[in-house]
Parts: sequence; C-alpha cells; structure tokens
Amino acid sequence: MATDFVARGQDLELVEVRKEFPGFVAVESLDLKIPAGEFFALLGPSGCGKTTTLRMIAGLETPTSGKVLIGGKDVTDQKPHERPVNTVFQNYALFPHMTVLENVAFGLRQRKVDDPLPKATAALEMVELNHLASRRPQQLSGGQQQRVALARALVNRPALLLLDEPLGALDLKLRRQMQLELKDIQSEVGLTFLHVTHDQEEAMDMADTVAVMNHGRIEQMGAPEKLYDRPKTAFVAKFLGQSNLFVGEVTDKSSETISINFRGNKITAPNSRIEKSSGKVAIGVRPEKTEFHESKPAASSTQNVLGPGKITDIRFTGVSNQYQIEIPEIGEITVFAQNVGRSPVVELGAEVWVSWKVEHSFGLADLPTGEEDIE
Amino acid sequence: MEQELTKEELKAYKKAKEQLTDARKESFGKWLRTKGWKHLIGWVMIVYSVFPIVYVISGSFADADQFTSTLFTSFTTDNYRDLFADEYRPFGAWFVNTLFISGTAAIGSVFLSALAAYAFSRLRFTGRRAGLLTLILVQMFPQLLALVAIYALLVNIGNVFPFLGIGSQLALIMVYLGGALGANTYLMYGFFNTIPKELDEAAKIDGATHTQIFYGIILRLAAPILAVIGLLAFIGTSSDFVLANIILTKPESKTLAVGLYMYVSDQFGQRWTIFAAGAVLAAVPIVALFLYLQKYIVSGLTGGAVKG
Ligand SMILES: Nc1ncnc2c1ncn2[C@@H]1O[C@H](COP(=O)(O)OP(=O)(O)OP(=O)(O)O)[C@@H](O)[C@H]1O
Ligand SMILES: [Mg+2]
Repeated sequence: MATDFVARGQDLELVEVRKEFPGFVAVESLDLKIPAGEFFALLGPSGCGKTTTLRMIAGLETPTSGKVLIGGKDVTDQKPHERPVNTVFQNYALFPHMTVLENVAFGLRQRKVDDPLPKATAALEMVELNHLASRRPQQLSGGQQQRVALARALVNRPALLLLDEPLGALDLKLRRQMQLELKDIQSEVGLTFLHVTHDQEEAMDMADTVAVMNHGRIEQMGAPEKLYDRPKTAFVAKFLGQSNLFVGEVTDKSSETISINFRGNKITAPNSRIEKSSGKVAIGVRPEKTEFHESKPAASSTQNVLGPGKITDIRFTGVSNQYQIEIPEIGEITVFAQNVGRSPVVELGAEVWVSWKVEHSFGLADLPTGEEDIE
Repeated sequence: MEQELTKEELKAYKKAKEQLTDARKESFGKWLRTKGWKHLIGWVMIVYSVFPIVYVISGSFADADQFTSTLFTSFTTDNYRDLFADEYRPFGAWFVNTLFISGTAAIGSVFLSALAAYAFSRLRFTGRRAGLLTLILVQMFPQLLALVAIYALLVNIGNVFPFLGIGSQLALIMVYLGGALGANTYLMYGFFNTIPKELDEAAKIDGATHTQIFYGIILRLAAPILAVIGLLAFIGTSSDFVLANIILTKPESKTLAVGLYMYVSDQFGQRWTIFAAGAVLAAVPIVALFLYLQKYIVSGLTGGAVKG
C-alpha cells in the first residue's frame, strides 16, 4: 500500500566530509556509505557531531569540504528541497497553526503535487492516524506527534529519510513501541533510513548497520552483533555496552594467541580477535562472558583467571545481577550473572575468582585514555 | 426545624452558632492578613485608574459652568452637539484623520518591524550584531530630541516633494514609522527567536522560500506580538501631540490630540466640557481596537502557539 507513493530507497555516500564552525571542528573527514534500503544508525555521545552530519546531508548546512552523494549523484551544492531527502526533527517541528492533515499536505502543496489532501490522508492512514486529521498538533500526544512528523516526511517520497533522535522525547514504553513501528514502516516502504540516536540499545535493536561516532569521527561501523562482539577501540568497547579492559606489555606470542602481562597476571587473547600485537596492548572482555568461582579454578591455557577478590557491590537489574569484584593489586571487575537459581548467587563480601574463556577476549587498537588498568 | 428541638438542644445550637461567628471574625482578621490586603491594594488601584475616566465622562455630559462641580450633577448632550457643529474646529475630520494616520502608522510599523526582525532573527549577514546594537542605541533617544532635525528635513523635502513636506499627513506617518521601528523591531526580534528554527527548516526542506516562511509560518505564529505592537503603535501615535502639532498645519488636517487641545488652550474661552466630550469619543476607537485584538493576544498566550 505504502509503496504507491513512496520512491525507492537510494544509497548515500559521504566522501571526506568535514565541517568546521568558527574555531571548532564539528565533523572530521567523514567517509560513509549506506546501501539503498538499509536501516542505518548513527550512534554517539552528545556533541559528537551527529546532528551536524545529518544537517549536511539534508542540505541545511554546507560542508567545509567533501562531497555528499545520493544515489550516485553529487548533491553537495543542491538546496534542501532539491535533494531526495526528508527529515524528522527531534522536536517534530510540526506547524502549530495547521491541522494534522494540513501539516502532512504542506510539502505536497509546496511541490504543487495534484490531489494533496487524498495523498496526505493516505500517508496518515499508514501511520494509523487518519482519525485525528483535523486536530492541531498540540492536541496530540508525543507519540502521535512523532507519527505525524513521520507521515509528513514520508508523503514527499524521499529516497532517504533522516531521523534525528525521533524517539528522544518519548517514555521508555512508547519508545519501544515506536521502535517496532518505525522498523515496520521502514521495511514496508523500503526506504533508506539514517537514524541518529545516543541510545545504544535503540541503535543495536533497530539498525542493520551501526556507526559509532566520537569527536566528529566514526570510530567503528558494522552490524550490531559484530560491533558488540568485537569492539576495536576503547571508546566503542565502553560506549556500546560495558567492558572490562586490561592494559599490559605483550609477553608471549604464539601462532594462535598473544598474552599480555597485566600486573603480574597473564591475560590471553586469540590472534583472530586482536588489532595490535606489540608494545602495550589493551585486552577486554564483556561482563556477561565472565564468571566467578568460589574456589580457585584450575589453570588452563583456554581460560583467563584473575583473583581472588571480594564482591563489593551487587546491583539487581532484573534478569541478571551486576557484581563488582575488587581484586587487590588489580582493581575492579564487573561480572553479570543470570538470576536463574539463587539471587544473588553469592553474598556481598564473598571471596571469588573471576575467569573467562580466551576466545571471548578481544584486543583493541588503542588504549583507554588516561587508563592503565581496569575500567 | 428549630421547633422540634428541646430547649437544651436549642441552647447548644445557639452556642455553637455564636462560636462559629466568633471563628469567622477571627478568620476575617487572618484573611485580611493573608489575602485581603491584596484585594485592598487592587481596589485602590482600580479606583485610582477609573476615577479620571468617570470624571471625563461626567464632564462630557455637564453644563459648561458645572464642569468642576461634583460628578453627574447636570446632564446635557449639548457638548457632543457643539463638538460637531463648530466649523472652525472640524471634529469629524480630525477623527477620520486620526484613524487614518494612526491606523496606517500602526499597520506600517507592524509590517516593517516584522520584516526587520525576521532578517535579524533568521538570516546571518555581516553587520547583524552591529545592526542590533545600533537599534538598541537609537531607540534609547526619544524622538523629541530629533524634533528640530525632523522639522528642518521636512521643510527641505517639501521644497522638492510638496506631498511629503510640512503640513502633509503622509510626512507625519513617515516620521512615526521611522521613530517606532527601533523598539518594535527589538521586541519582535525577541519573540521571533522563541519560534523554533526547526519549523523554518522543515518548511525549507519542503521547498518553502523565505517569503513563504515569513508569511505562512512566522507571521501566523507571531500573531500575539503583532497585535501588541499594532495596538501600542496605534495608541502611541493617536495620542502624540508634539510631532503632529508641528507637522500638521491646516485645521482640517489635524489629528484629535492636536485639534482638541485648541478647545482648552484658548485663553479666554476654555471649553472643558466640549474637550471632555471629544476625549470620550477619541477613546472609542482605541477601546474597540483593544477589544478586537484581545482574542489574538490571549489565544496566543494560552494556545501554546509557539511550542514546537
Ligand atoms: N552553528 C554552530 N556553531 C558552532 N558550533 C556548533 C554549531 N552547531 C553545532 N556546533 C557544535 O558542533 C558540535 C556537534 O554538534 P551536534 O549538534 O552535531 O551534536 P550532536 O552529536 O547532534 O549532539 P546531541 O546528541 O546532543 O544532539 C557541538 O560541540 C556543537 O557545540
Ligand atoms: Mg543532535
């Protein structure tokens, strides 16, 4: 149904795009390629340049240098309305003095499309809001306004839809519901979606590809599972979920693994999962891949073992508990354990050893800033 | 109901009633201390501001020799009749002049300051900051200071373009427009800045031009401030005396403020009652305009019109 009035998705390419504001570089030499029809998430902390990137793609900001290509065509010098792009703003930006229907029809009227009202009604139907067509935006709930904004953007048949934290103002439950709806609409219309967010769960949940951005550059890009399983920089390791990181000089190298000396403890990672194999190397592991033991586990070449240490904090998070384990000379380690049996599995202050399989270690390309030990 | 009660019950009832009134008396003192004094101040202010109006209305219906006596001692409509009968003092023409001059100046200054404010708020150009500062500086000097300059300027302009010289209503309108621009632009600039920029950008993405954004979005959302500025400009110009007095020379081209003054400036025949009648009529358009614009001002404040 929706495909009647929406164009097909097109791919987006950014070539060395850079944006400087007076005395400040907001985006540094960005290279990016998003295939047609993909749901792409741009994830990053506040102020890292996500909105600026979107605005350059939309044509609301001119890049200092570099090119923006949509469907293989250079649009860098085109005006916003000449590009096959539309935007859903974070605060929706619905026109308060127009009805919902007029809001959706606005772009059609601007483009002098025939039958603007029936087409706008069809777009409202797609977001299941046609019964509210005659209301004013301020008479709608946040989620409804969000859907109107989506309809207003989609009705213009963009090939690429930019969404700047469209769910940022919604509460958690509505957010989850809107995430599903957005995803449904995207697969229904087959458009290319570029979704900006700083909610890592949202990004991993919805996107085909996630790019993690920091300080105006993309740190790492890939499928959500891959990014989570194999972060390549300390920033990604910490921003996307949690990580225990250990930094030390490389001591052993074999054909399969490398080991570092972390304050007298040997920590090993497989060669297939490291970025760097000489000098100081940071090796990490996800908290849910680690486990603790109340007696010292036998040493083995397939396990990394640290301990003994004391449990200093237990945080109940629902399906699992988060345990902080303080190991003398080493520092704090975070461990997640499922609450399948007893909760908590061990008591506060208990003495435990921490272990994880070597194959779950990952090596980073850089070192955590200002950190020599565990995060 | 009291009949059915026994004596003792009646006693108890009366006692309870007394206690209740005591409590009321006590709480009246408390009411006065917590809320009552505000009412008191409110009423004093109302009387203070309504009194002159009542006095003028009373005076406008008084016999000429009774003007200074107590309120509403005599009643006559002669003053209103005389007002329109005097052919050397054409009240009707003044009335129309005032409506024309103030109306044009009000609409003009709303439009011009909206244009200027849009530029300052939405466009980025060199000299924008300097321009804003100049606006604040310039509007700090009262127009009165420029009186001599305005007079000399108009005399000279009048030598070339007589329709813009001394004695022309158009010239007066021009002077009003220039004078009000600074403060009004600044007020409106502040208001425009509260309208989210994303609205413009959403429209721009759909292909709207600056003109369309200005008329179709900004002006619609700025209705309250347009109404306020229009009203202030109308009141300000229709009560202006100094500029109107030096620029408008012919009796039939004068405004109400200047014309009515003739009734009381006459050394030997001060006609206060007729002046009062004229003043009452002069207030009518302003009150009407206020009542008409009120709904825009109020709906703008309560309708959340500028919430993105
Ligand atoms: N017009 C501007 N002039 C100067 N600096 C700007 C301008 N717009 C943005 N910046 C700066 O550029 C940086 C990136 O801004 P941007 O809005 O892209 O951040 P963001 O990643 O969208 O953050 P958030 O998640 O908080 O929305 C910020 O440090 C910001 O201060
Ligand atoms: Mg942003």
